[in-house]
Amino acid sequence: MSALDSYGAEAQERVGFFTDTSVCIGCKACEVACKEWNLVPEDGLVWTGESYDNTSELGANSWRHVAFVEQTEPEVDALRWLMSSDVCKHCTHAACLDVCPTGALFRTEYSTVVVQEDVCNGCGYCVPACPFGVLDKRHLPRKDPPALPLLTKKEDGRVWKCTLCYDRLKGGHEPACAKACPTDSIQFGPLDELRERADKRLEKLQAENWNGARLYGRDPDDGVGGFGAFFLLLDEPEVYGLPPDPVVTTRDLPEMWRTAAIAAGAVVAGVVAAFVGGSR
Amino acid sequence: MPPDDAEAQDAIAGDHPFIMQADGRSWLFVPQGLEDGPLPTHYEPHESPFGNPLYSQRANPRRQQFKRPENPYNPVADEPGAELYPYVATTYRLTEHHTAGGMSRTVPYLSELQPAMFCEVSPELAAEAGLEHGGWATIYSSRSAIEARMLVTDRIPPLEIQGRKTHQIGLPYHWGTRGLTTGGAANDLSSIALDPNVHIQEVKAFSVGIKPGRRPRGEALPRFVEEIRERAR
Repeated sequence: MSALDSYGAEAQERVGFFTDTSVCIGCKACEVACKEWNLVPEDGLVWTGESYDNTSELGANSWRHVAFVEQTEPEVDALRWLMSSDVCKHCTHAACLDVCPTGALFRTEYSTVVVQEDVCNGCGYCVPACPFGVLDKRHLPRKDPPALPLLTKKEDGRVWKCTLCYDRLKGGHEPACAKACPTDSIQFGPLDELRERADKRLEKLQAENWNGARLYGRDPDDGVGGFGAFFLLLDEPEVYGLPPDPVVTTRDLPEMWRTAAIAAGAVVAGVVAAFVGGSR
Repeated sequence: MPPDDAEAQDAIAGDHPFIMQADGRSWLFVPQGLEDGPLPTHYEPHESPFGNPLYSQRANPRRQQFKRPENPYNPVADEPGAELYPYVATTYRLTEHHTAGGMSRTVPYLSELQPAMFCEVSPELAAEAGLEHGGWATIYSSRSAIEARMLVTDRIPPLEIQGRKTHQIGLPYHWGTRGLTTGGAANDLSSIALDPNVHIQEVKAFSVGIKPGRRPRGEALPRFVEEIRERAR
């Protein structure tokens, strides 16, 4: 039984993002709209010198990140400035969800992956489990300290990430970033419809000879079963700081446990055999 | 495209040029009020390292100039000392801030996205002037000097003008002394020389010099600016 079946009649159509980076203009409205709606704190006034990107990466306090990549193309003596708004991929097979011991991470009725901040205990198992480095603990003072003073720590320590605006979905609204995006680079909708739209867009770009255009995370047969939030990129994923072939990190766990069980069985058998043999 | 019978703002397509006139569009020709024009021509900017290749009148003769001690102009074209301000600076906006930053430098979500005054130069100019990516540079004109972090980028290439390689310096103009992030104000560098029609100062092209390191502080700042001005005389 899939997680969605447990919702019964409450289950909704799977929704997600299609981020078409070919029309991203790097305005960062998505980053600001996300922070405004979700009350994500400002986390440092640090100038990086990485083109116009001062966010650097996704994290507990940056749920959208616009990457700026400056490329020189010597053959045509031209410069290409790639911009791409990154976000949690809401994987079909999400390792963060597999490893969460508290159930703070859960699959919603929209098939998105959300952390419940009132359940998360900050264990951090999900942080290395994510193949994209999306999950991250918040190292800022906690805004809503728990009632028990003994548990009150200065640092928040819980994990925070994109919720695909779960609260807005519940109210029938699109997520804040998609709403704010002035060029429709970020498109929200039912995943099947987005995949269709993305295929058409790719076809058009390829017909117009945009050589680097490709879809990233659209394929339901990839290592994470396809992304709920997938992308149209204009170059290799590595250029944007994305893993080329992401695999759900818990994929090999059953096999590892099986191997460990066999090894443990062999040890037990050996010990038993030694005693049985010694008593003769 | 809006339908033919659309009215008022509904008749303005999203890709039409900006809002300037009462009809929400810009006009190339106006019935009255022009001090200058309407036929296009080429003048060099008020402060330019070059003469006018079109005719002997270098810059717009109708431009408004303010000859006051606090608004000295850089020597231009072939004038002695023009070589002390050899680079062309241009100021511009970033999407994260609003005009000179007075309303956006107080907003955390905007300030963290562009948290420092920086200055964009080409790798060629960086090599020529000894500037380091991520380091500090002092940019100066005969009015003042400001400091900025260096962003070395191929996006600001040198231009070949009248057979001379000319370097550009890109300056966002959103910083000042107050707010969550503070930094050099590009408007301190530019001159007050206004166009005759709409009286906008010339901040898209003016001449400057650049050197590595932070700017002098306190009384040393006007002294530094004055010393270069003296050498130009």
